[in-house]
Formats: sequence, C-alpha cells, structure tokens
Amino acid sequence: MPLLSLIVFVPLAGALAILAIPKTKIKTIQGLALAASAVCMIFSGYLYYAFDKTTAAMQFIEKTAWIPAFNINYSVGVDGLSVAIVALTALLTLVSIIYSFNITLRVKEFFFWFLLLEGGMLGVFVSLDFFLFYVFWELTLVPMYFLIGVWGGPQKEYAAIKFFVYTLFGSLFMLLGILALYFNSTPHTFDMLELVNQGGMLALNLQIWIFLALYLGFAIKIPAFPFHTWLPLAHVEAPTGVSVILAGILLKMGIYGILRVSFPVLPLATAWFMPFFIVIAVINIIYGSLVAMAQKDLKKMVAYSSINHMGYCMLGMAAMTAIGFNGAVLQMITHGLITGSLFLLVGVIYDRAHTRDIAAFGGLGVRLPVYTGLMVIQVMASLGLPGLAGFVSEFLCFLGAFEAWPYYVAVSAIGILITAAFFLRMIEKVFLGPFNEKWAGLSDMNLHMNLRELAAILPLAVLTLVIGLWPRFCLDLIDPTITYLVGMLNR
Amino acid sequence: MLEYVFILPLLSFAVAGIILAFGKWLPGKGASAGIAVAAWGFVQALFMFVKAMRGGLTLPYEASIPWFSFGPHQATLGVYVDGLTIAMLIVVTAVSLLVQIYSLGYMRGDPRFKRYYSYLSLFTASMLGLTVSDNMLVFFMCWELVGVCSYLLIGFWFEKPSAAYAGKKAFITTKLGDLGFLVGLLSLFYCTGTFRISQILELAHIGFIPPAAAGAAAILLFLGAVGKSAQFPLLIWLPDAMEGPSPVSALIHAATMVAAGVYMVARLYAVYILSPAAMDTVAWTGAITAFTAASMALVCFDLKRVLAFSTVSQLGYMMLALGAGGFTAGLFHLTTHAYFKALLFLAAGSVIHAVHSNDMREMGALKNKMPITYITFLLGTLALVGIPPFAGFFSKDEILAAALARSPYLYAFGAVTAALTAFYMARALVMTFHGTPKDPGKYNHAHESPPVMTGPLILLAAASVVSGWALSRHEIFARLVNFEGVLPFELRHISHGAVALYAGITAVLSMGLGAWLYKARPGIPAMLRGKFAAIAALLDRRYGLDAFFLKIVAVSDSLSAVLFSFDFNFLDAIAIDGWAWLTEKFSRLQRWFDDNIVDAAVDATGTVTLFAGRLTRRAQTGLVQNYLFFVAAAVSIFAAMAFATG
Repeated sequence: MPLLSLIVFVPLAGALAILAIPKTKIKTIQGLALAASAVCMIFSGYLYYAFDKTTAAMQFIEKTAWIPAFNINYSVGVDGLSVAIVALTALLTLVSIIYSFNITLRVKEFFFWFLLLEGGMLGVFVSLDFFLFYVFWELTLVPMYFLIGVWGGPQKEYAAIKFFVYTLFGSLFMLLGILALYFNSTPHTFDMLELVNQGGMLALNLQIWIFLALYLGFAIKIPAFPFHTWLPLAHVEAPTGVSVILAGILLKMGIYGILRVSFPVLPLATAWFMPFFIVIAVINIIYGSLVAMAQKDLKKMVAYSSINHMGYCMLGMAAMTAIGFNGAVLQMITHGLITGSLFLLVGVIYDRAHTRDIAAFGGLGVRLPVYTGLMVIQVMASLGLPGLAGFVSEFLCFLGAFEAWPYYVAVSAIGILITAAFFLRMIEKVFLGPFNEKWAGLSDMNLHMNLRELAAILPLAVLTLVIGLWPRFCLDLIDPTITYLVGMLNR
Repeated sequence: MLEYVFILPLLSFAVAGIILAFGKWLPGKGASAGIAVAAWGFVQALFMFVKAMRGGLTLPYEASIPWFSFGPHQATLGVYVDGLTIAMLIVVTAVSLLVQIYSLGYMRGDPRFKRYYSYLSLFTASMLGLTVSDNMLVFFMCWELVGVCSYLLIGFWFEKPSAAYAGKKAFITTKLGDLGFLVGLLSLFYCTGTFRISQILELAHIGFIPPAAAGAAAILLFLGAVGKSAQFPLLIWLPDAMEGPSPVSALIHAATMVAAGVYMVARLYAVYILSPAAMDTVAWTGAITAFTAASMALVCFDLKRVLAFSTVSQLGYMMLALGAGGFTAGLFHLTTHAYFKALLFLAAGSVIHAVHSNDMREMGALKNKMPITYITFLLGTLALVGIPPFAGFFSKDEILAAALARSPYLYAFGAVTAALTAFYMARALVMTFHGTPKDPGKYNHAHESPPVMTGPLILLAAASVVSGWALSRHEIFARLVNFEGVLPFELRHISHGAVALYAGITAVLSMGLGAWLYKARPGIPAMLRGKFAAIAALLDRRYGLDAFFLKIVAVSDSLSAVLFSFDFNFLDAIAIDGWAWLTEKFSRLQRWFDDNIVDAAVDATGTVTLFAGRLTRRAQTGLVQNYLFFVAAAVSIFAAMAFATG
C-alpha cells in the first residue's frame, strides 16, 4: 500500500472534490473536508503504528521517475525525523478543520485551500527528492496567502502579502541552494539521501554559500531573528484554524529543513555556522520572550512566544548531540500541540468577546472553570511545567546544548523566567481577580465551550499530558534516527 | 515494605485526578479519598520508621524502571530510600493527613471545596515524589510541581486580587531561583554523567567530581533552594503567600515545600562538602536569612505573616546548620519545626476562622473564647522559642552547637535570632490571646473551632511537646539521619552543655521580656516604635527587598517595551518594509528607465531601421541587370581581396 502517497494525496483529492460541490451545500463541504482530513489522520495514525522504531533507515519508501531528463523523481519516505511531524500535521489539520466549522464566509473556498495546504505540508515532510520538496514547499504558500488574505482580520491583505513575499523571497534563495547542490553532485541528483552521501565532499567555501542560501529560506520559516517580523502579523491576522497551522506546522518546516538537509548535507558549513547559530538561538529565546511580555493582545503574545519556543529548538540543534537533537525534534511536536491549543483557546474567547485585549477581561475563572482549566494547563505546558509535554523537550534542548555552550544555555534559561512572567501575568489579568461585569451580559450558555471547540482542543490537551508523562510516545520513534544522524555529522 | 514505597506518590497522584473528576460523587466531595490516602501513607511511613529503628531494613534501598532514553542516556523513574527519606516521609504524610482533616472544618462550605482537596492531593503527591525520587531529573520535576501547587493554593481564593498577585509572585520568585537549579542540574549532569542520586553521591564520595565543579554546581543548585525555602534575598514571596488558606500555609509554607530546599541540600550533601565555598554559602545565607526574617517579624501585625517570617527564619537555621556541618542538627530541626510550625499555623487559622481577621490589633483576650486553640498555640510557641523541654529546644540547641563549632560569628547570628524569636512570639501570643479585646464585635463573635479542627491541633501539640525529647533519646533521630563523610573544614571543640544552658536562659528571658512588655507595659513598644520610626519602617519594608525586585520587574518591562518598539518600528517597519519600499521605488525607477531609456532605445532602433529601410529600398529597383551588376561588383571586390591577401 503506498501509504505516504495516500496520506499526501487524500487531502489533495478532497480539495478537488470540494471544488465539484455547489457552494451552497455548506454541510456537504464541511463533511467532505472533515472526512478527507480524518481519513488522512487515520492513515497517519496507522503510519505511526506501523513505523519500525528499531531502525534509523527510511521507511515506506516510494520512488518513481518523474522528470527523468533531470533525474527528478517522485520519491517519498519517512524516518524518525519526519514520522511524528507527519502525524502532528494530520492531527492539527483535523482539529483546525473541526474548529473552522464556524467559518461562514466563502466556505467552499476556505476548505479547498485548507486541504490543499495540508497536502502541501505533508508533502514537504515526506519528500526525499529535493525538487519535489521544493514543489510542495511552494505549494503551501498559495493556500496560506488566500487563507490569511480572505478570512483574516482587519489587516489581512497586508499580512497576507507580507507573508507571501517574505517567504517567497526566502524560498528563491533556497532554490538557488538546491540548484547549486544539484549541479555540484555527480551524477546530478536531487535525491536527498544521495546528497547526504555526497555533500560532505564539497569544499568549505561552496558549502558555506549553499548553507547560507538554504538557511535564508529555512530561517524565515522558523522564524529566526531577524527574519521573524512576518510572524506576529500573520498569526494575529489569520483566522484561528489557520493560526494553528501556521504556528503548529509551517514554522516546523524551517527546523525540519535544516535538520533534514542543511546539517547532514553540509557538515563543514554547519560546523562553521554554529557559533552564529547559537547566538541566534539565544536571541530568539530572550528577545522573543521579552517582546511577548510587552504584548497587550492575547494572540500576539502567543505568537511572539512561538519565536521564543523556536529558539529552544535551535538551542537543541546547536548542541550537535543526540540529546539536543532529540530535544529539538520533540520540541517541534510539543510546541505544535501546545501553541496550537493556545491559539484555539484564544479563538474561543475571541469568538465570544470580540476582543483579545488582555486588559479587557478579568475574573473569568469564576464563570468559565473548564476553559480556565484548559488555558492554565496549556500555559503551564508552554512555560515548561514538568508532567506536561513542553518540559521534556525544553529540558533536553537545554541539557544537550549545555555541553558545548554552557554560558549561552545559562543565559537562555532566563527565557523560561520571562515566559513564566508574561503568561502568569496574563492568567492573573484575564482569569483571576474579581469578575469583570462587562461580560455579565454573556449568558452562561454562550460562555461555555461548545462541542466543536472541545472536540478541537481536548485531543491536543490530552496529548500534551500523555507526552509529558510518557515521552517515549514520541522519543522512541525519534531516537534511532537522531543517533544515526549525529553519527553522520561526526563522521 | 520498601518495595512498595513507590505506591505513595502514585496513589496521591491518582487520587488528585479522581477527586477532580469524580469528587462530586465521593463521600465528603472527595475529601474522604484524600484523607484515606494520606492516612495510608502515614501508616506506611511509620511502619518503615519502626522497622528501620529495629534494624529490619537494609538502607539505602534503590529501585527504578526505565522511563525514556535520550541518546546514550536513560531517564528512570525510581525510589531511593535512606534514613533521611523516611524521616521526611513521616513529616510529609503526618502533616498532610492532619491538615486535610483540619480542612474539613476550615474549608467547609467553600464553593471550590472539591478542587481544594484535589490540589492538596496533587501537592502531597509531588512532595512525596520529590522525597523518594532516585534521580535528580524527577526530583526537579516534582520540585517544579510543588511550586505549581503552591501557586494554585496561594491563589485559591483568586477573586481576591491580593491572593492572585501573591500566587504569581511566589511562582515567579521561586522560578528565579530555579534558573540556578536548572543550570546547576545541567552542570552536575556533565560532572557525573548521570541523574541517579546514588551514583552522584558515590562519585562525589570517591572524589571523581573536581571540587571546583562540585562547588559551582552546588551553589547553583542552592539558588533553587534559596527560592524554594525562601532564603535571603528571595524570601519576599513567603509573607505574601499567607493569602492562601491557613491549612495550606501550614502544609506547604511551613512544614513541607519550603523545607524542600533544605532537603535538597541534605540529599546532595556529599557534593556540598566537596567545596568549602559552597558550604559557607549555605551557612551564611542561612544565618543572614534567620536574622533578617526574625527582625521583620518584630514589627509585623498580621498574625500569619509573623509566623511566615518565623518560618523563613527557622529555615535559615536549618541551612545554617547544614552549611556549618551539622547535618543531623539541621534535619532534626526540619522535623520538629514541621510539627510546631504546622501547629502554629493551624492554630492561627483557627483564630482567623473565628474572628475573620489576620490583624493582631483586632484580637486580644481570645484565650477565654478559644481555650484549646490557646493552649495548643502556647505549646507551639514554647516549642518554637526553644524553652526546655519542648521540641524546638533540642533541635535548636544542636544547631547552635554546630554553628559555634564552625564559627563564632555564625553562632552570634544564631543566638541573636533565638532571642528575637522568643520576643516576637511572646508578642504575638500576648497580642492575640491575652490582654483585653481590641475589637469587641469580633471578640463577641469569636468561638472555639469544631473538633475536626481542634483534634489535629491537639495531636500536633503533642508532637511539638515530645518529639524533640523522644527523638533525641538514645540518639534515635541521629541513628536514622546521619552523614558519614569528611567535612572540608576543621570543627572547633565546644562545650555542648554551655550552649544548651545559654540557649535555654536566652529563650526564657527574652520571652519573658516580650510577654511583660506587651502585657504589662504596652506603651513601651509603641513608644519605641515611634522613636525608631526609621528602623521600624525599614523592617516593614522588608529591608527594601520587595522594592528591589519590583525595580527589576519594572526595568524588564521597560526593556520589553523598548524591544517591542524596536521590533515593530525599526526591524519590521524600516528594515523589512523598508526593503519592500526600496524595491518598489527601484521598480518605479526601472519603469521610468524602461519607458524613457529602453523603450526609447527600442523605438530608436525601429526608427533607424525604418530609415535604413527607406534608404535601401532605393536599391530595390526590380531590374535584373541592376542586381547582376551588384553581384558582379561584389564578386570582383571579393576576388580582389582574395588576391591581395593570397
């Protein structure tokens, strides 16, 4: 069974099918979107289950010639680096689609773009051919442009075009890097595994140039300082479901790209770049959390906290050890779950109050115990509370990086404190203290979370707890590949 | 027996979840489940204690299961039990049990009763996990979890802004210390290659860890203890933590969680003694904390806050003892203090429950109304002050002896603090229970608490009276909790009897003076306060520590605002959008260039071509002979050129 192709093309097929449905049949469209993403989730769940945890080798490989003249293949496969993120992509898309059932504007197009986006993202994570990777990478761009630009907030056009142009700018450099790799390989190839085998032989100078070109594309996606300014804007303007995907998955494409391609293909340049990389990681952590502290808008605060959390990923990567890489890959997953549910939770309150101004609330804890409980749990997970998912990944990132960069790690630990400060301050202002009578007009029934919202958020909350208590749920898949990868880097 | 230790934290964790989810249907809204599990824990701990005393246990005991692996390492879940663990287990389970019983009365009718018991169980679970963990990773996790429970319980009445604020303050202040703990933990890992406590201790013991590295790691870890155990200068959170319900103060902020820092230092004592610098840091932090906190208690009018300052001060004693090499002394005090301080907090809670105020200026003469509360509070006070033969006398005496053996200066801090302690406790006792009612309305309303509250008071009072004497008989405690290792410094020879005698006399005199002043001559303290207003104000402001940390918060807030402005107005608006602007301008320039230069050039080419075409058209006559002429001419020219070059 071509499992990976099914995972990638079920959403794409779903998108096409939606095109064929009259736009007035909203229920059918929603049902189809739900079905497509659910089927994709089931396949991904099966992938998770059938994945062989004992090997570092690529699994579920499919390879067919696509453009033989240029030695371009349709080649897909997963290993420990990608399998968890594939499952996360399917899950977050599914819950976002469920959550987005409250979209009323141009429903048909919305779900068309959404499924197209899902297919593109999944394609990125399973591609083993760099050209195919690039095609999928660009495929995510257009749906995202429309999803922000049409269904977004007040500044949606500006946010969408900024996101689009910025990312495109980065990916053009990435394309240059890809072509440079292609023309410097013998025989010319886009095959990632083959490039890994050959790449180490390139001269340092060439490696550096290629690394920087690829890095520009990846760093904008992560986003690494100073290429992050598109993120708060896009995250805030995007509708809730799309923010979840942006933070949960799109950012990970940058981290994934670096781990999948830049590091193993260009080991000399990687070593050369590390002193800069660790500095950028620390800046992401400290700067991201400090700027988040200045936010008055709930969603913007969560958005900036993503910059901080991606800094932990980069910190783990800078370790260049199995511990740090495990942490970085796990952090991709946990951040997706935690920040994804935070965006959903922010969406819940915004749908009711039509504001995200932190100062506008107060004392909601009395009236909304379930909502408050979920928010507190996810906030605690985000600031790295043990027993919840964020702790293990962040701790491994710190632990890994400490060996090589003890002083940088000591400084980045401050980021934890700042994160705790701004999140707890937010909790205090929004949920604690006396109830703000301004919201008394909302009846209890309107206040409480409905089934659609709970169905979207609860799976993420449960997984946050499961991974926190039983990290092997993810780490067992990741670890063999990581150990192999670190071995490759140190050859 | 020992192989079932792991059940203790697990059971409590499970019960915390069960109460939250199903408490509605359980007897007592789930309180019964919490109490049953705590009672189970206490019985199990007691059995272990008895068996250990009889020599029936092989200690230390260690067992673990793999949890997850990362790279070449493996994280485990496991238990490590030695005498220290058992002593701590008894403290935690006993106080937890009594506090949960007491809370039945104290929290009756609270709308979030169920949640309260769930939090208490979660706290107990985390604290037990911390106590029995066989590795520092899980220790650290439980360390953080107790902090969160503390946050949740301090802010339990979160509608009150001061409670919400206090919870946050406690969390962030302790988190500040935890940064040190985290970095210390990481460096300890790279010193030893493991998180396992037994291995760390073994490696420290055989001298595998270089003293400098051990000292650095120990001091960094100690920063965590400074936060958790409210040592100077991070002690600011504990007084405010009194916003939580009184039983919570008794359990978390007197007996157990705040003692976790002391427990941590004791747990890793083999690492600490590798470095004199680390030991001195611990000792002097303890000494300074003991003194400053006691002095702040002198001017405080909030009954619970007086006890909070007292707790800080006593925790300072414990640190002082550990740093001075008095391992057993510090932990002995941890044990006795847990009982009498929990007692004092619960008794204070009983008072507050009756008069609905924390302010001692609104109390007075309550001994008539609340005899059981009064007697138990009095016994707790005698124990804390160190009047022989109450519990605190034995343990404090050990600490002072250890301090004197290490350094007379440390001893001086300890002795002065002991005098201050006796004084402020006498003051609190008199202001609350003696004299005349200051607020008749509150006084008339006051009543003794129900048996479910006074019962735990009586039990704790009994422990406060006898635990010091009983545990020092036949060296029971010292046999259970001791440390065999070489201290990094020489201890001086001292006369233990003299220390004890002096400590007893100081306690009696100082307490007598305090009682006399506040009972018979209340004008004198008021006069002194007026005369030394500056000092009183300094103590009230907690030596400016709060202001100092608020300043740090303000500075970070400004920094964050500046950075955000930089991000928004420069990085995004100029550096990024500026690019776009430049690109656009450049493209306009290009367009102008296109229109006026390139296009013109193209047009010009066209014109030139057209013109050339018109010219050449003249040659196109259509007559064959003309063309032939051109051909002949061309051929002749080529031929001539060929000959010329040929």
